[in-house]
Amino acid sequence: MSTPLLELSGLTIRFGGLTAVDRLDMKIPVSNIRALIGPNGAGKSTVFNAITGIYRPTEGRITFQGQDITGKHPYRISALGIARTFQNIRLYKTLSVLDNVRIGAHGIGRGGLFGAIVRPPGIKAEERRINEASGDALELVGLLRKKDERADSLSYGEQRRLEIARALVSAPQILLLDEPAAGMNPQEKERLMLMIQQIAARGVTIFLVEHDMKFVMDLAQQVTVLDHGRKICTGTPDEVQSNLSVIEAYLGKEEAV
Amino acid sequence: MEELLRQYMNLYYIQVLTLICIMMIAALGLHLITGVTGQLSFGHAAFVGIGAYAAALSNIHWGLPFLICVLLGGLAAALAGVLVGFPSMRLTGDYLGIATLGFAEIVRVILMNMDITGGARGLAGIPRETTLVLAFVLAAVAIWTMYRIQDSRFGRALVAIREDDIAAECNGINGLWYKVSAFAIGSFFAGVAGGLYAHFLQYLNPSGFGFAKSFEILTFVVLGGLGSIPGTVLGTTILTLLPEVLRFSAEYRMMMYGLLMVIMMIFRPRGLLGGVDLLPLLKRMLYSLRKKQTPLNGDGNGRSV
Amino acid sequence: MTTDIVLQQLLNGLTLGSTYALIALGYTMVYGIIQLINFAHGDVYMIGAFVGLTMVVVFGINIWAALFVAMIACVLVAMTIERVAYRPLRRSTRLAPLISSIGVSIFLQTLMTSMKGPQPVGFPQVVSNTIYTIGPVKIALVQIIILLVAAALMIALQLIVKRSKIGKAMRATSEDYDTASLMGVNVNRVISFTFAIGAALAAAGGVLIGMYFNSVFPLMGVMAGLKAFCAAVVGGIGSIPGAVIGGLFIGVAEVFGVAMGLGSYKDAIAFALLILVLLIKPTGILGQPIQRKV
Repeated sequence: MSTPLLELSGLTIRFGGLTAVDRLDMKIPVSNIRALIGPNGAGKSTVFNAITGIYRPTEGRITFQGQDITGKHPYRISALGIARTFQNIRLYKTLSVLDNVRIGAHGIGRGGLFGAIVRPPGIKAEERRINEASGDALELVGLLRKKDERADSLSYGEQRRLEIARALVSAPQILLLDEPAAGMNPQEKERLMLMIQQIAARGVTIFLVEHDMKFVMDLAQQVTVLDHGRKICTGTPDEVQSNLSVIEAYLGKEEAV
Repeated sequence: MEELLRQYMNLYYIQVLTLICIMMIAALGLHLITGVTGQLSFGHAAFVGIGAYAAALSNIHWGLPFLICVLLGGLAAALAGVLVGFPSMRLTGDYLGIATLGFAEIVRVILMNMDITGGARGLAGIPRETTLVLAFVLAAVAIWTMYRIQDSRFGRALVAIREDDIAAECNGINGLWYKVSAFAIGSFFAGVAGGLYAHFLQYLNPSGFGFAKSFEILTFVVLGGLGSIPGTVLGTTILTLLPEVLRFSAEYRMMMYGLLMVIMMIFRPRGLLGGVDLLPLLKRMLYSLRKKQTPLNGDGNGRSV
Repeated sequence: MTTDIVLQQLLNGLTLGSTYALIALGYTMVYGIIQLINFAHGDVYMIGAFVGLTMVVVFGINIWAALFVAMIACVLVAMTIERVAYRPLRRSTRLAPLISSIGVSIFLQTLMTSMKGPQPVGFPQVVSNTIYTIGPVKIALVQIIILLVAAALMIALQLIVKRSKIGKAMRATSEDYDTASLMGVNVNRVISFTFAIGAALAAAGGVLIGMYFNSVFPLMGVMAGLKAFCAAVVGGIGSIPGAVIGGLFIGVAEVFGVAMGLGSYKDAIAFALLILVLLIKPTGILGQPIQRKV
C-alpha cells in the first residue's frame, strides 16, 4: 500500500484531566470516503480540530502526504490542501453567499494590499479566476441562484451546502465534513449524498463525521468507530455493523432510545 | 485655489471643512481596523498624535517638503500600528480594546515628557501648509482607497476575520498577518491625518491625543454605522459639525453633544446607516420615481415603496 | 530605599489603591453582568466627591452623613443612567452601549464643569491632621479612615454578594444571563442593583479621595476611572477579589514609581502594568480563561 494521504499516529488530545482523544491511529488512503462515527462526546470533532490545526495534539503525529503537519497553524494546513466544514455552521453570516465562497478561494490568489489598490492585470485575472471557481463551487452545491443573498438568510440545509462550497472552492486534496447531514430532511440528505459522491468522483478524498447511520453506511467505503476517544474498530460498513463492541457502544444505545 | 475659495467662503467654514476632511482620513483608518477587521481599538488618537508629531518635527528640524513630512507621519504611525497589532494575536474583543487604550495613554505620557516634543507646553511654530483643497483631495483618495481595499482578496480576508476568525484561518487566512496589516494601514491613515492636522493647527499638545480624542474617533465610526464607508463619512461630518452648530449654546454645547450621542445610539443602535445598504436603496428610490411617472396598469400589483 | 521608606510607601500605596479598588469594583461587577465597560463610572465617582463636598461646605453636616448622602445620590444617578442610556441598548451591538456610556461621561463632566468651573475646588479639612507613628511608619488619621472605610465597604459587599438573595441572583446573572432570566431572576432588577452598589462604592471613593487630597474637580473621574478600570482588568474583570487586588496593586505600583523618580510618568504606570498583565495572562490575575467552542 502506498503512503496514505492522511495519517494519524498515536493522536492524543487532553483538556485538563479529560482525555478527548486517546492514542488514535488512522490511515486514510487517497480517493476514499471515510467516515468517523461514535456516540456524542466520543471525540470526533476534536479529531477534526486537531487535523486542521485548531487544537494542538497533546501527543502523537499527524502526517499529510508524508509531511508532518502536527501543530501547524490552520492557515498553513489549509494551504496544503485540507479543507473542512464545521459542526456548528461557521459561515461569514453578514456577507453574501458569493463572498463566503470567494473567501474560501483565498488560497487560489496571491493579491495583497498593492494588488487591491493598483489592480495590475495579473490581479484582475486572479479575481476572475476566483470568481469563476466560486461560481463553479456554488453551481455544484446548487446555490448559484442565491449568490447575492446574505449567508444567514439561507435555510439550515442551504447553509450546510454553502459551507461545503466554501471548503471545496480551494480545490483541496481532502475534505473534512463535520456532520454535513445534521438538521437536513430526507430529501436534502439524498441530494447531499449525491453531491458528496460527485465531489469524491473528482478525486477529492472525503473524511466525514456523521450521526445518521443510514447516511454513513450508504456513503462511506470505510468506517472508523470511536468511543470515549478510543478507536473501537475500522472496516467496511458491513464489517462495522456486525462488530459487537460497536453495537454495544453506539448502535445499542441508539436502539434503546 | 485657496484664494479663490476664500472669495466665496468665509474663513471659518473653510476651517471647519478642512477639519472634517482631516478627521475623516483618521476615521477611515479606524473603520478599517474596527469596522472591517473587527479589532477593537480605543487608542486611535495616539496614532494621529504620533503622525502629527513626526510630521511636524521632520518639517521643523529637517525642513523636508510638507508632503514628505505627512508621509513620514503616516509611516511612523504605521510602525506603531504594527507594534500594537501584535497583541491581537493573544487578545480579542474588549481586552484588545483596553490594551490599545493603555498603549495610547503611554504614548501620550511619553509625548508629554520628551524634550523634542516640547512636553506639556506643546509644540508651536509649525508652518501652515494644509489647505482645504489638499485635505479634501486626500480625503477623497482615502475613501477611494478604502473602497478598493474592501473589494479585493485582501479586504475579503479582513472581513472574514471580523465575521469568524476560526473559519477564516481554516480558509487559509493568516489571521495575525492580516490583523497586523489592518492595524498598520489604519494607523497609516491616522498618521497622515495627524500630519495634516499639525500643519493645520500649527500647534500640538499631547493632551489633544488622549483617550477622549480616541473615543471621539470611535464614535465617528460607530455612530455612522460600523463597517460602512458612507457611515464613517457621515458620522465624521455630523459629529465634527455638531459642536460648531451647538456653539450658540456656549457652555452647554458639550453637554448637549454628550446627550445627543446617547439619544442617537438609543434610536439608531446600529448607527445612522447601520443595516442600510445604499445601493439597493438608491435603486428602489429610482424605481419608485419611475413608477410614479408611468400611469398605473390597474392590475393592483404595482408595489409602492 | 531603606525598609522604613518601603513600608511607608507601601502604606501610602495601599491608601491610594483602596480608593482605586472601590471604583474598580463597580467596573468589574457591571462588566461581569452585562459585559459593558461603563465609561461613565469614573464620573459617578466624581459626582460622589462633589456631593460630599457640597454636603460638608454648604449644608455643614458631618462627614459621615455627607459620605452617606453622597452614596445615596450616586446610587440614584447611576440607576437613572442605566435605565435611560443602557437598558434600551441591552440587546443591540456591543459598541452601542459603550458609545452611549461615553456620551453620558461627556455629559456629566460638562454638567459639573458648567456648575463648578473647571478648576479644582478645595475640600475642607474634615478630620484633624493628626499623624500617628507606629514604629518606622507615619500614618495620618485620614489614611486610617480611608483604609477602614474601604475595608468595611468591601466586607459589606462580600456579604451582600455571598449571603443575600439579590447577591445570589447577581452571581447567577453574571454566570449566565439568559438562564438566570429563564429561572425567574428579575434581570432588570439585578442589573439596576449592580449599578447601584457600584455607584455607592465609587461615591465613597470620591469622598475619601476628597478628604485625602483636599481637592476635587470635574475631570477627576477621568484618570481615576481609567486607572480603576485598569485595576479591574489587571485583577481579572468580573472578579470581586480581583478588583480589590488589582486596585491595591496599581496604587502601590504608582506610589513606588513616583518614589523611584518616575513622577512625570505616573499616569503611564497603571497602563504599562495593564499591558504587561494582559500579555502574560490575557484574562487578568484572577480571571477565568475564556474557553472557545469550535
